[in-house]
Amino acid sequence: MFYVSIFFQYMAQYMKTKLQYRTDLVVEFISDLMFQAVNLIFILVVFGHTTLLHGWTRDEMIFIYGFFLVPFALFGAFFNIWDFNERYIVRGEMDRVLTRPVHSLFQIILERMELESLVGGLTGIIIMVYAGVRLQLEFHWYDLFVFILFVLGGMLVYAGVFISLATISFWSDARSSIMPMMYNVSNYGRYPVDIYNRVIRYILTWVLPFAFVGVYPSAYFLGKKEWYGYAFLTPVMGVSFFMIAVFLWNKGVKRYRGAGN
Amino acid sequence: MDYAIEVEKLRKEFKSYSSRSGLMGAFRDLFTRNYKIIRAVDDISFTVKQGEMVGYIGENGAGKSTTIKMLTGILTPTSGEVVVNGMNPHKEREAFVRTIGVVFGQRSQLWWDIAVQESFRLLKKVYRVSDKDYKEHMEHVIETLDIGPLLDKPVRKLSLGQRMRCELAAALIHNPPLLFLDEPTIGLDVLVKLKIRQFLKEINEKYKTTILLTTHDIADIEALCERVIMLDEGKIIYDGSLQRLKENWGEGKQVQFTFAKEVTDGELGVLTSDLKVGWRKGEQANSWIAHVPPVHVSDVISRVVARYDIQDINIDEISTEEIIRNIYEEGVVHG
Amino acid sequence: MDKYIEMIRIRFLMMLAYRTNYYTGILIYCINIGAYYFLWSAIYSGKSAIQGMSIEQMTTYVAVSWMARAFYFNNIDREIAMEIKEGKVAVELIRPYSYLGMKTMQGLGEGVFRLFFLSLPGVIITAFLFPLHFSSDMSTWGYFALSIILSFVINSQLNLLAGVVTFFTLNNEGLLRAKRFVIDLFSGLILPISFYPSWAQEVMKYFPFQAISYIPSMIFTESFQGQAIIDGLLFQLVWSVILLIPLQLLWKAAKKRLVVQGG
Repeated sequence: MFYVSIFFQYMAQYMKTKLQYRTDLVVEFISDLMFQAVNLIFILVVFGHTTLLHGWTRDEMIFIYGFFLVPFALFGAFFNIWDFNERYIVRGEMDRVLTRPVHSLFQIILERMELESLVGGLTGIIIMVYAGVRLQLEFHWYDLFVFILFVLGGMLVYAGVFISLATISFWSDARSSIMPMMYNVSNYGRYPVDIYNRVIRYILTWVLPFAFVGVYPSAYFLGKKEWYGYAFLTPVMGVSFFMIAVFLWNKGVKRYRGAGN
Repeated sequence: MDYAIEVEKLRKEFKSYSSRSGLMGAFRDLFTRNYKIIRAVDDISFTVKQGEMVGYIGENGAGKSTTIKMLTGILTPTSGEVVVNGMNPHKEREAFVRTIGVVFGQRSQLWWDIAVQESFRLLKKVYRVSDKDYKEHMEHVIETLDIGPLLDKPVRKLSLGQRMRCELAAALIHNPPLLFLDEPTIGLDVLVKLKIRQFLKEINEKYKTTILLTTHDIADIEALCERVIMLDEGKIIYDGSLQRLKENWGEGKQVQFTFAKEVTDGELGVLTSDLKVGWRKGEQANSWIAHVPPVHVSDVISRVVARYDIQDINIDEISTEEIIRNIYEEGVVHG
Repeated sequence: MDKYIEMIRIRFLMMLAYRTNYYTGILIYCINIGAYYFLWSAIYSGKSAIQGMSIEQMTTYVAVSWMARAFYFNNIDREIAMEIKEGKVAVELIRPYSYLGMKTMQGLGEGVFRLFFLSLPGVIITAFLFPLHFSSDMSTWGYFALSIILSFVINSQLNLLAGVVTFFTLNNEGLLRAKRFVIDLFSGLILPISFYPSWAQEVMKYFPFQAISYIPSMIFTESFQGQAIIDGLLFQLVWSVILLIPLQLLWKAAKKRLVVQGG
């Protein structure tokens, strides 16, 4: 309960800050839209040269992409702490965070909130609806709950991986360029994993399980029965990876060396 | 007697690696590295009673900040015991930090972009302070620190002095019984310094707040602390009253002569060779300072005056700063 | 000139100091190339060529464009923006060197490091795993070397431009992000320009973006032959000269503004 009230308190502050810089907000929206467009254009261009991708149609690919945008937007809004090392470790902001009586990860998540990313989720839903209509997908009332469950699962997968990466900063004082590279890897979870060989499929399923943010959960809505098992693993993977991340975080905080000196 | 801080054989080691020089060296570092252990805090023990104001001093890199960070739960000690406010800081961090206030002079606790009072409101929530307590306590704090007019300005628009006063207020929102101040007066002008000192004295008297203070400005310590803990290379080299430190080390007077003409160290040394006098060049041209045991003061003055043309003479107590400099130069404290 | 070379050396040493980055960098590079290889295999699925490129050429194209990216890519736009926001630029300006030149040299130091210590081992490892096609013709390598140097110049100019804009907008995080997506998409990094619909290709002729990635990668994969190579290099050269103009103008205006506002 305390954490919920703190959450809203931070949110209110966030709004006030953001409204001070309105032009930035507009530019950020536009750049977000461009980011979403880049990947869509890739799909469209590729399907200009082929009709099927390992048995998946263009509209199915677009649907997967639309789905992916929703958990990704939630991740971007709440867990996107890519500049953790720079901001909190190198500049020593972590000192301040640790002198406050709220869990340090929770505080940082609240401070780094970027609610405008949520717009991406809206774009995602529009893309899904577009593709879904063209594919004439059936939609049951309970699918809404499945959708929410899978979206949350996917978000936690993302959060888990990126928070775990952020904790590296506690062990190594290196300025990390792993984060941006990881964003590239995360893209591959949006393509049908059966196009990859065993090693990469294994990595995308169990090591950096980005397939659970795109293709696996989408397969459920696309009625690809052979993938249902993986689809329903989505929330489980999400929770487990997030728990691993929190565990690593708590371990890492103990190793924190402080800035300066 | 209740202790606010109890520290027993506290130690913090950092592992650091030394880089090899040159391009080839850097390349070799990719594969193997030379590590060495640096002991920033070396088995220190001390206690602080409730309501005490203690100055924690030492040169840069002596281990002050590292100690403070262990006492506040930011860093985990390598070994040793820390009990602060009856708790283990890093083990029960979230419960513990609610009982302390921290001000880092070089780092802001407030949110850069939002108005000061918004920061306060957020912190009030974070520390779960009731409206009633907040009103009762903070109204007074805001008034004493004279920050009322600043409350609706964003932090980035404040001057350093204004910001520092707000920082101090922010650290006191939950009226903590123990306050850690790391360089609270760094870079501030004299008036703000005075105001902050006065304020700290007042809350110490009013709430019996324990204060642990690190600073480079010895005047802060003289104004506030009866007790000092002095640190050098991670070890405590003095722990006791400021008064005693002065008595043991501050014996004698400082006599400053301004000569009409240039004189040399050698000449002066020969002149007072049978007395225990140390000569040192002053800051102005042709000025020399003699560190003289009390019994020899008149002797030294009469000899110098008899021999040279003097423009000015000053006799001073030895300043605390001087004492501390002497201690660091010699590295030991007797008594 | 010495001081600029020293800057390159320092950056080089800095990069070497971060060895976690180094190891994971190579690993992630391999995963990247691998994933693209399979993605493109699926796209080709039996076709021998798309837009005149075979699957080997395509895989090589991907591998080499990521390798080239490691060289031309840098964060000097962000660094400049950061230094402007924190008011450090004023200090930089009184130093006895050209600020923009120094930033470029820092980028070059990083780029050279990543080329030799990240991309090269990465390419060698991926060459064992996937069928990459390396030319045996030395002149191709020569053209390629020339071409990625021009890529670096053009990309750095664009970065400097974007960074200097911060003087006027103060916060341009959004612009920097947008620039990055535009470059990823229109430079030919993720898709060869020849794959785009012809109207889009026509439009892109009027922008410098394909000079960053598409041209060197096409040269390396020998998809460009004869005159096309020369045209490509000329395209790069012309743009690297044209971009100097807005850069100089903006920089002058920025300096004036800095003097007026006092940082």
